[in-house]
Amino acid sequence: MTAPEGTPLAPATGAEAGGLSGKGLSAGTVGLIGAIVIGISCIAPAYTLTAALGPTASEVGVQVPAIILVGFIPMLLVAFGYRELNNRMPDSGTSFTWASRAFGPWIGWLAGWGLIAATVIVLSNLAGIAVDFLFLLIAQITNNAEIADIAANPVVNVIVCLLFVLGATFVSYRDMQTTQKLQYVLVGFQVIVLVVFAVAAIVHVASGNAFDATPIDWSWFNPFAVSSFSAFAAGLSLSIFIFWGWDVTLTMNEETKDPDKTPGRAATITVITIVVLYLLLSIALIMFAGVGTGELGLGNSDISDNVFFHLSGPIMGPLAFLVSLAVLTSSAASLQSTFVSPARTLLAMGHYGALPPKFAAVSPRFFTPGYATIAAAIVASVFYAVMRFVSVSVLTDTILTLGMMICFYYGLTAFACVWYFRKQWFDSVRNVFFTFLFPLVGGVILAVLFVTTLIDSMDPEYGSGSSVFGVGLVFVLGVTIIALGIVIMVWQAIRRPAFFKGETLSLDAPPSARRRRQTAANRSEKP
Amino acid sequence: MSDPIVVGYTATDAGDDALALGTRLARASGAPLEVVLVLPDESRNAIVPPDAGYVRHLREQAEAWLAGAGEKIADAAHHRTHLRYAESFAEGLIATADELGARCIVVGAANGGIRGRHRLGSVASELLHSSDVPVALAPEGSRLLDPETALTRVTTFVGTRPGADVLLEESVSLATAASVPLRLISIETIDLPAGLDTAAIRVAGSEHADGVLGRAREALPAGLAADAVVARGESIEDAVGAAAWDPGEIAVVGSSRLAQPRRLFLGSTAAKMLHELPVPLLVVPRTRATEGDRR
Repeated sequence: MTAPEGTPLAPATGAEAGGLSGKGLSAGTVGLIGAIVIGISCIAPAYTLTAALGPTASEVGVQVPAIILVGFIPMLLVAFGYRELNNRMPDSGTSFTWASRAFGPWIGWLAGWGLIAATVIVLSNLAGIAVDFLFLLIAQITNNAEIADIAANPVVNVIVCLLFVLGATFVSYRDMQTTQKLQYVLVGFQVIVLVVFAVAAIVHVASGNAFDATPIDWSWFNPFAVSSFSAFAAGLSLSIFIFWGWDVTLTMNEETKDPDKTPGRAATITVITIVVLYLLLSIALIMFAGVGTGELGLGNSDISDNVFFHLSGPIMGPLAFLVSLAVLTSSAASLQSTFVSPARTLLAMGHYGALPPKFAAVSPRFFTPGYATIAAAIVASVFYAVMRFVSVSVLTDTILTLGMMICFYYGLTAFACVWYFRKQWFDSVRNVFFTFLFPLVGGVILAVLFVTTLIDSMDPEYGSGSSVFGVGLVFVLGVTIIALGIVIMVWQAIRRPAFFKGETLSLDAPPSARRRRQTAANRSEKP
Repeated sequence: MSDPIVVGYTATDAGDDALALGTRLARASGAPLEVVLVLPDESRNAIVPPDAGYVRHLREQAEAWLAGAGEKIADAAHHRTHLRYAESFAEGLIATADELGARCIVVGAANGGIRGRHRLGSVASELLHSSDVPVALAPEGSRLLDPETALTRVTTFVGTRPGADVLLEESVSLATAASVPLRLISIETIDLPAGLDTAAIRVAGSEHADGVLGRAREALPAGLAADAVVARGESIEDAVGAAAWDPGEIAVVGSSRLAQPRRLFLGSTAAKMLHELPVPLLVVPRTRATEGDRR
């Protein structure tokens, strides 16, 4: 990188240099609506709910609305910590980088591993759901119900699923973008279809055509009515999954047109939209189908891994294809935004020497983390293919494992925030809450959930009831993933010790400096 | 000639092709080289959450790439590097070229194509129908040519389309700046498929071709060594392939952009010529005619 003397390699001087710094971080390009749209498409409510509603109802019964509301609390608390860290150290590695800074390379590595595992699992689950709905959509359009059953054939299923992943990889690798307008339309369509779906279910109940009409009751909103703490914990880790992705609206900062107001407003509007949608739909579907294990009951393990798939027909009749379309488009958009997450973390890990440097390679043509994207796709595909053959109910088990992994790395991130800012806790009242109390409480909740789920999932009856050597599959998966992470970590520590000696990412704790606090506080005063 | 030459650079083979051709053109005409790398502007993004960390990483990587490009040029030409953000690579290049008052934009034509097979990449295509400065396409493999190879000749494809004067003007100015002879070629093909938009470079009938060349010659300034030939063949490929090509020369052709707005200019003809042309191709837009006194 030694340039010939007298030839400026830095961006040109004068007017052009100003242009670069102005455009460099693409400041001020995301407006309020844009931020909300990104938020909603990251959460992908149609996909999330069809995947999580069944397992949640199986765990907590009619108290799904309560669990959704309660599940939002740890998510919010951790998101506050996430935002503090992101403002202080914006980095593609997110949890990996932050945990390394706070707790050192080993824990940092595991946090990064947790994030990658969680996103890879969700990739495979997303693609799995998309496959189901693709066949359902074709069946609905051609009026041939048998086509929908093809999705149950594991070989066909795996092949189509791999094609989906391949397509998503291609789009991500080449950084192909849909236009903003199309994205607005898709998100709007998704929300409208979900509302119509909920209303249709309620209309069926009112006219007495429901499958298992269950009258709404205030106890649905009472989290203490859940039968056991285990059920509560399992439900909670699922409802953390349904809000997963929402934090991006909070962490968009300098990218927004008005960094003081946009992120806060976008996050608020997004979360209100999402919570209202979730409550409306969960209430409507419980009213319609109940939580029993009957044919259409939400607790029926045959349908719980993908409830919209089974309920859209009975509820929407000829318009059921709209639900399929909404879930498909929602999964597709989410597939793309989700792909970015593991790819960027892998890239950061490669960059800091925690993984082979190949992972840090950026495609010189498309400017995407090419190698990392392909690596994530391959792992997601293999994971899905293996799971499809091992598990009775692959989607349910992956979602439960996913909830566990999210608790793991989000919990670590929350603690990283608390520890990283330890010298600044009492700099101001604001800091007491945002760098200490909120993330600490959030982290503790997630840690408790993680441990509880881990212990409970040892029971072979947990989740879909799949088991390996007499131990619940979800437990095996969770432990295997973490153990595999440790093995690869040790291997990497031997191969490239620099990172593990803290030479590339050092431990850090910003000192309590009044002046520094002032600038930081000015930048993100608004909670 | 001091108007700079803009090179659209990527850290790929196509980018190196462009860099090599740009360096040779800059050396020949004594123009400064402006190496430009265009990164995608995040504003076009509607799905993927923005990530300041990745944007920074990308910028550092791009700066390293540009530094690498600078090393490759070394002392061969006076150069600067620029990192830009734009919706598309082509858009960023055109904006930069306009800003710097560039003489031309150089890009690799192959854009990831297999060696020996020329194919217009998306960047080249977009440039060709939106650029208001001449665009030079470096064929796949240009990077393998010794950058010290001097420009030996400028060959211009002349036709009867309006704007031929601008084309000639550009060719003359390039040939004069590089102090090399100019060759004028008219292509004459037999049995041209109907509907093919080749009028930009084709003239029907040999006496017509001779007439065109004669008129073009008359317009040339005195003292410039010029040669005029008619290339004949069954098809464009045939005619282009039949002409003798010097490894160090550059071909110049006019665009039909104004005649056919919204249409990918030259289209199949350019692809065909590129397929046969063993040398770089400089495409001159007609728009210069309206902004003739820009220099």
